[in-house]
Amino acid sequence: MRIILAEDNDILRKSLSFFLESKGFSVDQFSDGKDALDAIENTDYNLILTDINMPGISGMEITQYVRETLQSDIPIIILTSSGVEQTELDSFDLGANEFIAKPVSPAVLLVRINKLLNKRV
Amino acid sequence: MSLIRLFCSIYLIFAHITYLKMRDYPIPDNELQRLAALKRYNILDSLPDNAFDDATKLVSYICGVPIAHISFIDENRQWFKSEIGVGVSEVPREISFCNYTIMDTKMVEISDTHLNETFKNDPNVTGGFNVRFYAGVPLTTPDGYNIGTLCAVDHVVKELDDNQRNALSIVAKHVMAQLELGTKNYELYTQRKIAERAVLAKDNFLANMSHEIRTPLNAIIGFTDLLDQTDLDNVQQEYIDNVQIAGENLLIIINDILDLSKIESGNLTIESQPFNLKRTLKHVYNLLKVKVQKDVEFNLYLDADMPDNVIGDQGRLNQILVNLVGNSLKFTQEGEVTVSVKRIEENENNYKLRFSVKDTGIGIPKNKLKTIFERFTQGEESTTRTFGGTGLGLNIVKQLVELHKGEIHVKSELNRGSEFFFFLTYKKADIPKTPVKSISKNDLGSLKILLCEDNVLNQRLVRSVIQNFGFELDVASNGEEGIELLAQNKYDLVLMDLQMPVKDGYQTTDYIRSEMNSSIPIIAMTAHSLVGEQERCFKVGMNGYVPKPFKQSVLLKAIKTAMTEEVDTKRKRIVDFSFLDEMSSGDEDFKKEMINLFLEKIPNQVAELNEAFKNDNHDAVKKLAHNMKSSLDIFMLEDLSQCASIIEEEASKNQFSTEILDKINILHCGIAEVVKVLKEL
Repeated sequence: MRIILAEDNDILRKSLSFFLESKGFSVDQFSDGKDALDAIENTDYNLILTDINMPGISGMEITQYVRETLQSDIPIIILTSSGVEQTELDSFDLGANEFIAKPVSPAVLLVRINKLLNKRV
Repeated sequence: MSLIRLFCSIYLIFAHITYLKMRDYPIPDNELQRLAALKRYNILDSLPDNAFDDATKLVSYICGVPIAHISFIDENRQWFKSEIGVGVSEVPREISFCNYTIMDTKMVEISDTHLNETFKNDPNVTGGFNVRFYAGVPLTTPDGYNIGTLCAVDHVVKELDDNQRNALSIVAKHVMAQLELGTKNYELYTQRKIAERAVLAKDNFLANMSHEIRTPLNAIIGFTDLLDQTDLDNVQQEYIDNVQIAGENLLIIINDILDLSKIESGNLTIESQPFNLKRTLKHVYNLLKVKVQKDVEFNLYLDADMPDNVIGDQGRLNQILVNLVGNSLKFTQEGEVTVSVKRIEENENNYKLRFSVKDTGIGIPKNKLKTIFERFTQGEESTTRTFGGTGLGLNIVKQLVELHKGEIHVKSELNRGSEFFFFLTYKKADIPKTPVKSISKNDLGSLKILLCEDNVLNQRLVRSVIQNFGFELDVASNGEEGIELLAQNKYDLVLMDLQMPVKDGYQTTDYIRSEMNSSIPIIAMTAHSLVGEQERCFKVGMNGYVPKPFKQSVLLKAIKTAMTEEVDTKRKRIVDFSFLDEMSSGDEDFKKEMINLFLEKIPNQVAELNEAFKNDNHDAVKKLAHNMKSSLDIFMLEDLSQCASIIEEEASKNQFSTEILDKINILHCGIAEVVKVLKEL
């Protein structure tokens, strides 16, 4: 299973990748939204895990692009530290499948990823 | 006088030889005094001034002339303060028309210079400025000296009407008034400077005196305290008691004087801390109970509706009550003294309380009621002799009540008694203050304490007190010595005098904190107790503050607080790796890598954040705080993450409140601690 992870905080990104890789996933990590989107267009991923606030392109924009332009129904999980309800509503509105508030619990993240991937299988 | 004339004559002879056409000019009889008067105004060679330029314009408009000026004449020139159509800033005195005007008391008007014997051959008539018409009003000082002129000049024949002449005189008067105002302003400015210097000198004097008095008083009260704890016979005990009372009274007086100077300089602020109101009142009651004379009943009535806890300034309420109740007890020989407190208003946020101190004492005569709150005033002159006191107490009470935005009143009848009552509004306290966990002396174990103090008496006093507590004490006579000892031995705590030779308490603390990187608790001990000093102590990194003369219990409490806080902060900064452990699934190398990444990034981010904040760069602050928050979350630093959140939120609103600086500081310090902990791993 191949996951793309877009997150600009180095420590969090590396930790998450390490964690997911230790659980058997293959992870491509990006700290810039634009680079992540380029990769999504050119690679066949099973799941997108993206932060909202990033340099380049935001997680919201990535979600919108994937659903509207690429017409893909790939599972998308949005990570955010925003406590604002509207952010969560907007995320789902744009077509995200899951919304996880930071600080991210690795166990919860794993459960959600597995749930989304199993559903497709 | 004659010398000047002689000088002038000699000068004129030379002038005649040089310029054949140059004519003699008259010199006023009072020339010397006139020049002195001119100097007083400091107007010569001053910068242009709108007020004078406006007056010159006015002259030109009124008389309809192309040339107008305001000028002053000194020994050898006519200097133009303001001019229209003249074009030079000064001319030699000998060619000035105005030499004649300053000889006169009223306006000099020459309609046609060609018809005037004195002027028709003047170089300024035949050439130069081509003066045909001249009107000049002398500028006369209030003491009668003509220091200059206000003039209207034209190239054609002219005659002013009465209104114009009148107007010129009025403008001249205004110009003079303007000059007077300038000197008055200057005088006021100098007076103000003198007054400010005097106030500063007084403040310094008070600070120094209080320091000088407090230092020996500290020794007197302290040693008496120690002596009191030894075995004494009855006579000795009585003597000691008297010394103690006298010492404490002296301290009260010094504190009163200091308080007054603080109130005066606006340096006394009212604190807002939750406190237990009932306990404070009972404390005051118990404190003063011992002073009650045998035929007097002393009561404390607390309203059943009275709140237990409020937010306000406990210390100042204490001071107000001790003062008022102390007075009542002092002036009441028989009958009763009653303290009562009533809740009179309550709203969502506040309680308004009425405090009353009522006695059946000597009372205050009607004609003194109004002045009773004034400084150095007591009911009768003889009061001071009979009852003592500085006459400052009630004045301080009034000012303290007013600083609380409250009001104080007095009702009294001679020989019947008095009632002082005041109203204070306190904020409601949300949570009843949790009682401070009391730690017995033993909880601290045996501490090794370092004292930095230059005064030998105080060294001995502190040594006795500290040994009484059962702790060990080393003494350094100045900051430098203290630092040496600190480098050689291990101590649990430092007691720091502020005024020391070589290195004072602030410098020493700064050195310990920044150079030695030591977080050893430091308690300031000072006889200064001035406003701002306490803040300065905490700013430089001290943990506690004990004013001298100190009470043993206060010092012990400060030591306990400093020691327990130390433990608390250490406990707080234990970094929780459970999240990182979960992420790394127990891979130590990866964990180490993440820690190193954190150590590498976060200090720079803190610096960048500070910089961005200073530059008011909201966007950068927002981004940095956001990014840092994620990093802080990984090490489960909830409090710091919270700070980052608040900073980020505030920055998104494009505004920084004062709270943000605080949060940035907390974040800064917190991260410094975390970095230290992580580096030591």
